[in-house]
Amino acid sequence: MRKRIYYWTDSKHINKPVISDTILNTGVKINILKAKVEPQEAFLILELFGSKETIEKALNYLSKFGEVEEISKVIKRDLEKCVHCGCCITQCPINAIYMDEDYSVIFKEEECVGCKNCVKACPFKAIEIIE
Amino acid sequence: MKTIKEINEKIKKGEAVVVTAEEMIKIVEEEGVKKAADYVDVVTTGTFGAMCSSGVFINFGHSDPPIKMLKIYLNNVEAYGGLAAVDAYIGAAQPNEDPDIDIDYGGAHVIEDLVRGKEVELYAEGYTTDCYPRKDVNVKITLDDVNQAIMVNPRNCYQTYPAATNSRDEKIYTYMGILLPEYNNVHYSGAGQLNPLQNDYNPETKSFNTIGIGTKIFLGGGIGYIIGEGTQHNPPFGTLMVKGDLKQMDARFIRAATMPRYGSTLYIGLGIPIPILNEKIAERCAIKDEDIEVPIYDYGTPRRDKPLIAKTNYKVLRSGKITLNVNIDGKDVEKTVKTGSVSSYKMAREVAETLKQWILDGKFLLTERVGKLGRAENKPMKSPITLVKDILSKPPITAPSNITIMEAAKILIKHNINHLPIVDEFGKLIGIITSWDIAKALAQNKKTIEEIMTRNVITAHEDEPADHVARKMSKYNISGIPVVDDYKRVVGVVTSEDISRLFGGKK
Ligand code: SF4
Ligand code: SF4
Repeated sequence: MRKRIYYWTDSKHINKPVISDTILNTGVKINILKAKVEPQEAFLILELFGSKETIEKALNYLSKFGEVEEISKVIKRDLEKCVHCGCCITQCPINAIYMDEDYSVIFKEEECVGCKNCVKACPFKAIEIIE
Repeated sequence: MKTIKEINEKIKKGEAVVVTAEEMIKIVEEEGVKKAADYVDVVTTGTFGAMCSSGVFINFGHSDPPIKMLKIYLNNVEAYGGLAAVDAYIGAAQPNEDPDIDIDYGGAHVIEDLVRGKEVELYAEGYTTDCYPRKDVNVKITLDDVNQAIMVNPRNCYQTYPAATNSRDEKIYTYMGILLPEYNNVHYSGAGQLNPLQNDYNPETKSFNTIGIGTKIFLGGGIGYIIGEGTQHNPPFGTLMVKGDLKQMDARFIRAATMPRYGSTLYIGLGIPIPILNEKIAERCAIKDEDIEVPIYDYGTPRRDKPLIAKTNYKVLRSGKITLNVNIDGKDVEKTVKTGSVSSYKMAREVAETLKQWILDGKFLLTERVGKLGRAENKPMKSPITLVKDILSKPPITAPSNITIMEAAKILIKHNINHLPIVDEFGKLIGIITSWDIAKALAQNKKTIEEIMTRNVITAHEDEPADHVARKMSKYNISGIPVVDDYKRVVGVVTSEDISRLFGGKK
């Protein structure tokens, strides 16, 4: 299975290879979708792959060094406002937006990680992320 | 051979054969040009994209006592008032007077709100005269309240628009949307095979088969007319100047937008019917996305003449990705990146379909043009340009990295400067020292230049325009930039004083 999470590492663990340790200790596969490291804390968006058990273990391990929050954000597009231009498509880091054969812009909502890149790019303010 | 008059007779009788430019491609492919030209009477086209050069003339009617309006604001967006007493022109790209709102609600948004029937606040100031004694006026108005709201757009309906990518190592915000660093996306605009001018174009004569002054069109969901060629008209990058009645328009086809960190703009649906008078016209109406060449330029170069990165066509662009051969950090690489559209093909289709339906319903008859579009002209402005190399202090004062901090301090004092580029044996930049770094070195008891110099130096190229360097300095909040040549050799330093001296003399 696959799970997406936000992860904040406390400053005291910033210099430790937490992610690699998690992988080595639990056998989970991790895809780093976004990473922002600041002096006080590090913020990451991670995608975990593995069996239910492995993911559980990985989450427990990660929790020891920081805070985990499962991503439950939903992206909402106002279809009255959207003109299907496509200004948002190339901004999505995980390729969750595309244009179909009918030239409609489609969001693969279940894949969205809520990064808001598309929200910032839309000239019509048609997209909202609901927390 | 048919005439427009004959076609109009058929439309009135409900017998005309009307197809969209997309449908025409198939018909010509299957039946051949000759049959298609006989059978089809009208081909409808459409485009839907950002058209900044748009606006509306409004006549507000006279107040009592009357006012000669000079400064005019609609929902706090300024409209041009240098016309007769109660006439104004509101332009789509005008930002809000409130700097916190700025481009988020500009002229385009006022225009859309008017079309939606919303109330808009009018505030106007005037100077008093014997016949216009009133000083100011502040009322809420709707589109119904004003006498005329005539949309007049100096440049709409680009025939083709060059696509955009970005060579810089940072994101840039442009009228083509957000361009990712290192050529990581390509943005394009245009309806391609559905575009009105494209379907009517004769590449040999660089002129248009049927479109001209007086041609009746679909504009923003209402009926409009072509007034003439648009500004910067230059086929195959032809443009149109058009007019229409805002009171007839539909907010589905008039949409205000804000290009992030660029400006407000108006997306407009525009469609033109092309009468199929002969085979030549029919043949051109079968033009396909893959037949239309689109250049891709590097918008990372903030100059008028942007480097051409590649040539492609609308079919490739619409496929969602494209492979580019580019040079990154001196290496030639092949890169496949995502493409994204800035205009809407889906809405362009809807425009062409709606116009087709109007004609089939007998609601829209074709017009004969009264004149051809005027001559092409798109030449650059004769603006003077100042390059960084023109304002450099020369020869450059630099130092190697093996000097002591004391020596560096002496150089700064001797030349009365604040920035000292550190170079290697070939004169290539490896870092920079400022007077602040020297103070810090003293405070923290650092001993060598290597320890205190900044290595990630923001530089300017000697051929960069001074305006661009000024923008860089304010963006990164720095007071001096080393200037380098093609080989990264330091040729001088530009400081904020140099820049303010340059711009201080002008207005
Ligand atoms: S940028 Fe906005 S309007 Fe354009 S397709 Fe995306 S959501 Fe729709
Ligand atoms: S917020 Fe938008 S850009 Fe970010 S992941 Fe979701 S769909 Fe993609």
